[in-house]
Amino acid sequence: MNDPIRTCIVVADDPAVSSLVEIVHGIDEVPLAVVAGRRAVAEAVALTGVREVLWCGEPASGTPIEAYAPAVARLVASTAPQVVVGAATVAGRALLGAVAAVTGSPVLSGVTSIELDSNRVVLGQECYGGISTRMVTVSGGPGVLAVGRGTISAPGSADGAPAQVTPVQASPLTAVRVTEQRAGRHAAVDLRSSRTVVGIGRGLKQEADLSLVRELACSRPLAEGFSWMAKERYLGISDQQIAPDLYFAIGISGQLQHMAGVRNARVIVAVNNDRNASVLDGCDYGIVGDLYRIVPAVVAALKV
Amino acid sequence: MKIVVTYKWASNPQDAEVRPDGTVDFSRARGAVSEYDPVAFELARKLVDSVGGEVIGLCAGTASIDTSLARKAALSRGLDRLVLAADQALAGADSTRLAAVLAAVVRAIGDVDLVIAGESSMDLAEGQVALTLAAQLGWLGLAAVAGVTADDGVSVERELATGRQPLSLTGPAVLAAASDAVTPRIPGMKEILAAARKPVRVLALDALDLAAGPVSATVLSTSRPASGNRQQVLIDGADPDAAAADLVTALRKVGVL
Repeated sequence: MNDPIRTCIVVADDPAVSSLVEIVHGIDEVPLAVVAGRRAVAEAVALTGVREVLWCGEPASGTPIEAYAPAVARLVASTAPQVVVGAATVAGRALLGAVAAVTGSPVLSGVTSIELDSNRVVLGQECYGGISTRMVTVSGGPGVLAVGRGTISAPGSADGAPAQVTPVQASPLTAVRVTEQRAGRHAAVDLRSSRTVVGIGRGLKQEADLSLVRELACSRPLAEGFSWMAKERYLGISDQQIAPDLYFAIGISGQLQHMAGVRNARVIVAVNNDRNASVLDGCDYGIVGDLYRIVPAVVAALKV
Repeated sequence: MKIVVTYKWASNPQDAEVRPDGTVDFSRARGAVSEYDPVAFELARKLVDSVGGEVIGLCAGTASIDTSLARKAALSRGLDRLVLAADQALAGADSTRLAAVLAAVVRAIGDVDLVIAGESSMDLAEGQVALTLAAQLGWLGLAAVAGVTADDGVSVERELATGRQPLSLTGPAVLAAASDAVTPRIPGMKEILAAARKPVRVLALDALDLAAGPVSATVLSTSRPASGNRQQVLIDGADPDAAAADLVTALRKVGVL
C-alpha cells in the first residue's frame, strides 16, 4: 500500500482551481490549499474537495497579489509538501517561482498525469508543444507543477462540508502600490466555453484591422455559438488549451506552442498568404491568400 | 538608472527533429535572441534614454551564448555592455537553476534598479524564469508589463485579463514585458558595427557564489506521440468569393456551422 503523498495547491486570487485539484487526485484526494487573495476566493476553494485552506488574509489595499509570493512560499515550504501545484498564469507563476526559489525545485510545465510507482511520484510531461512526451520523476525535493487554469466549481459540487479556512499571518512585499483601483473586477473571459474561437496573429498589420476580424467573430451563425477572438500569443502560453467546435487562425503562422493550445479544436480553418506557413499543416481547411480580402468574403458567404 | 535586461539564446522547436524514440535533437537548429526578448531591450533603452543610466545585457547558458554572432545579436539591441554567465555545466539547466545563476550575477553587478525580461522564451514558452529570478533576489516580480516610465519613481502599467493595472514601485523589481508592450527597433548597420566596440564580461559558474541545487528531475522514458490527423485541405484564395463559398459549404457539411 502506498503511503499518502502530501500535496499542496497554491492559489493566486483565482478560484478556478478544478484542474489543480484534479491533477493530484490520483495521489492525494484531499490536497492542502494555500490561498493568497480575497476571502471569497478562499471560501470558493474550500468547496473544491481540499482538506484545509490556509488563507493569507484579505490583501492589503493597493497590493498586487504577486507581493504575497515570498510569504506564500514560506508557508508552503513549512507544510513539507511532496507535490505543489499552481496555475500557469501570470500571478500563479509568481507564486510558483517563489516556491521554487525556496525549495530549489524546477517548475514543471506541460504535466498531463501524476501517478505513484512504488512510492515514487511519476509525472507524464509534454515537451515543446507536444512533439515529444516523457515520464519524469523528481528527487531531492518537492515536485512543483504549473498547470493550465481550471474552471470554478459550482457551489456544493464537492461531497461533504466545506473545508476549514484558516487565516494565517502573511506579510506582503511593500515596495509597490497599485495606484488606481479598477471599479470592480470581472471574471476573465473563458474561451473554453466558446463554440467558435477566432485567433489573430501578426498577419494583421494594425490594431484598426481588428474590426475586420471582429465582424467575422460577431457574424451569424458563429456569434450564436458565443465566439471569441484571442491573440495568437495568448493561445499557446500558460498551457492555455481550448477545444471549440471551430477555430479560425487568421494571419497566424502556426507556432508550435500555439498549435498545441488549439489542437483539440474539432475543425481548424487557417487563412494565411504564405503557402509555407506551418499552420497550413495543422489545419483542416487552409485558404492561401490575402486575409484582407478573404475574411470579408467569408463573412459575406456566411450570410448566404 | 541601472537596468539589467535578461535574455535567452534559444532555438525554434520547429527547427528541431524529434527522433522516433521521442528525444529532441536541436543540433541543426540555429540559435537566436529569443523572439520576444527584443521588447525587453527596447523598454530598457527607452527608459535609460529618458532618465540616464546604463542598460546591461545578461544571459546565462552554455558556450553557445558567447560566440561573436551571439554577442553582436545582443549588443546591437540598445545595450551599453554585456555580461554572460557562459558555462557548459548549464546545458539543460532548468528554470530554477538558471534563475539562481542570473540572481547571482545581478548581485555581482550590484546596485541594479530594475531587471527587465521578455514574456517567455520561444522554445519553452513558459514565462517562468523572470518570476523565479525575482524570488531568488528577494524582489517583487511582475509579468504582463505593458509599459514602464521613470518620472518621479518608477511607474509600471500592466495588462491583465481584468484590465489595465497601474502601479508605482519604490524598490528594485523584475519586470517581464508583455510581447506587445512596444515594437522593438530593428538593429541597423550603425548598431551592429557599434556592437563590436562594447564591453563584454564573461563569468564562469565557479566565479559565482552558488551552491548546486539538491532537487532534480530525472527523465525515465521518452516517446514521440502520433502526429495530428488534420484534413489539410488547401483552398486557393486568388478568388476570395469562390474560396469563401467552398469553405462555408465544407464547414456546413461537416456540421460545425
